[in-house]
Amino acid sequence: MGENVVLLGGAATPVGKMQGIASDGTQQLEHEVLAKLVVEALEDAGLRKCDVGSMIFTLPRPYTQQKYFATFMANYMRLPCEGLVMEVLGNGMTPALTLQTAIDQVRLGRTKVALALGINFETGTSAPEHMMSSMRATGDVDFHVPFGFTPIAWYAMDAVRYMHEYNVTREEIAMVAVKNRRHAADNPIAQFRKPMTLDDVLAQRPIVEPLGLFEVPGRGDGAVCIVVASEDVARESGKPFVRVKGEGFYHEGAHQISEVPNDMIAFEAANIAGAKAYSNAGITPGDVDLAEIYAPCTIVEILAAEALGLCSRGQGAGQAASGETALGGRIPICTSGGLLSRGHPAYVTALYNYFELMEQLRGRAGARQVRNAELGLACTELGNYNAAMVHILEAVA
Amino acid sequence: MTIPVETAPGVRPYPPRMSAFTKPFWDGVAAGLFRTSQCDTCHKPSFPPKPVCPHCWSNAVSWIDLSGRGTLYSATTIHAGPAVFAADLPYRVGIVDLPEGLRLATRVLDDSALDEAVELVALIHDDGPLYGARRLSDHG
Repeated sequence: MGENVVLLGGAATPVGKMQGIASDGTQQLEHEVLAKLVVEALEDAGLRKCDVGSMIFTLPRPYTQQKYFATFMANYMRLPCEGLVMEVLGNGMTPALTLQTAIDQVRLGRTKVALALGINFETGTSAPEHMMSSMRATGDVDFHVPFGFTPIAWYAMDAVRYMHEYNVTREEIAMVAVKNRRHAADNPIAQFRKPMTLDDVLAQRPIVEPLGLFEVPGRGDGAVCIVVASEDVARESGKPFVRVKGEGFYHEGAHQISEVPNDMIAFEAANIAGAKAYSNAGITPGDVDLAEIYAPCTIVEILAAEALGLCSRGQGAGQAASGETALGGRIPICTSGGLLSRGHPAYVTALYNYFELMEQLRGRAGARQVRNAELGLACTELGNYNAAMVHILEAVA
Repeated sequence: MTIPVETAPGVRPYPPRMSAFTKPFWDGVAAGLFRTSQCDTCHKPSFPPKPVCPHCWSNAVSWIDLSGRGTLYSATTIHAGPAVFAADLPYRVGIVDLPEGLRLATRVLDDSALDEAVELVALIHDDGPLYGARRLSDHG
């Protein structure tokens, strides 16, 4: 492998409602928000505008008026690029593909500095209308969607099967939401920070049984810019950085369900992508100090943690309930608050996960800092974990 | 082997498209037959039916009749749905494993339990057929 690639700087807006509608009078506009973040991220990296050679954007939601957003931004920022300017889409994995493309740009020598960035504005559209679009992304339009499957219905069926096979209680699964809310309380950019108890979670109205309102993601807007650079540039900058130590990807060749019956809750893609990333980094799951897992629902964090070898098979819910995956526990998971509390502006969500690992590995996470954090894992997915992309990031002292 | 055929009220909220290739499948459902494609080369069935075998990529496939029975692998009741399904809320959906070695997703019409035997049922709406799953009836 060529030169080491690092994450040198970053900036993120708080997750929340930013998108307005015409009747508001004035609205926040995507390019204005993102332009400010780019400047902030470059300052964090100790770099200048002329250092940037590639910009890899997450595709904005269809509700963003400005189309060809990447090339529009190249103009808006007046940034000639000799590496690549493009937009990426891959459902929840969109930001991971964006980061990976930026990493590859630097590794291939197309540029020394690449931005992985994006903005997700969607709260101007109601959930039932938004689902008219998202249902077509998480199911076969002719053989699943006509029955009314929603994106998180697949995760709910994971939960039902998991409870059935491992005799796990709904309360144990729901503890993941309580744990992540506790983490979010100390994260200034988290969307939901008000403390909540297990009783609060269990008292919510059902959304996709057995999961209730606080066990499924709220909707939010957000924007992130991450500066990816070669290690020599990073060293010259004099700034702290994190090294990309391992990478793994796997697509199981299925969409939501495998037409050949399999163990759906084994999350094979996460298992294989994780094994590849561990091997690539020369580490084992036990070496990981913290993990940011893309988990739109409580159950997903549990099953992904098991597939990644961070929890034992069938024990993930119990281990979450007993605090093993909480801050201060054996392997803290989703110290940001995760998708349920930090927030889930879907097309940029994983960029927030990388940003959290950068904050942790640079010792900037404040009250939610994992002590002596050296190795962080990020895992992102699409579908019902039909594909997974895993990154291992390393603190560089 | 046939599946029960029942009339269902109104039009389908989000009707599936039909191609020249999948027309025999939907015509079959309407007539109480649950069919799919099977590869002439590797002999594996596929669902949904496909003009190319996903296993060996042969494009020689034939129609076979499935039993229309299976077991419920998982299920959930949806309380918040896309706009077109608002009138159906709440509704139950699930994953069914067929003895022919196939897995599919569909509506679940009752409270059948996981691993319980279920049967597929043709549901004839005003504008065309769909199908669902329910507990296997004794007279089946």
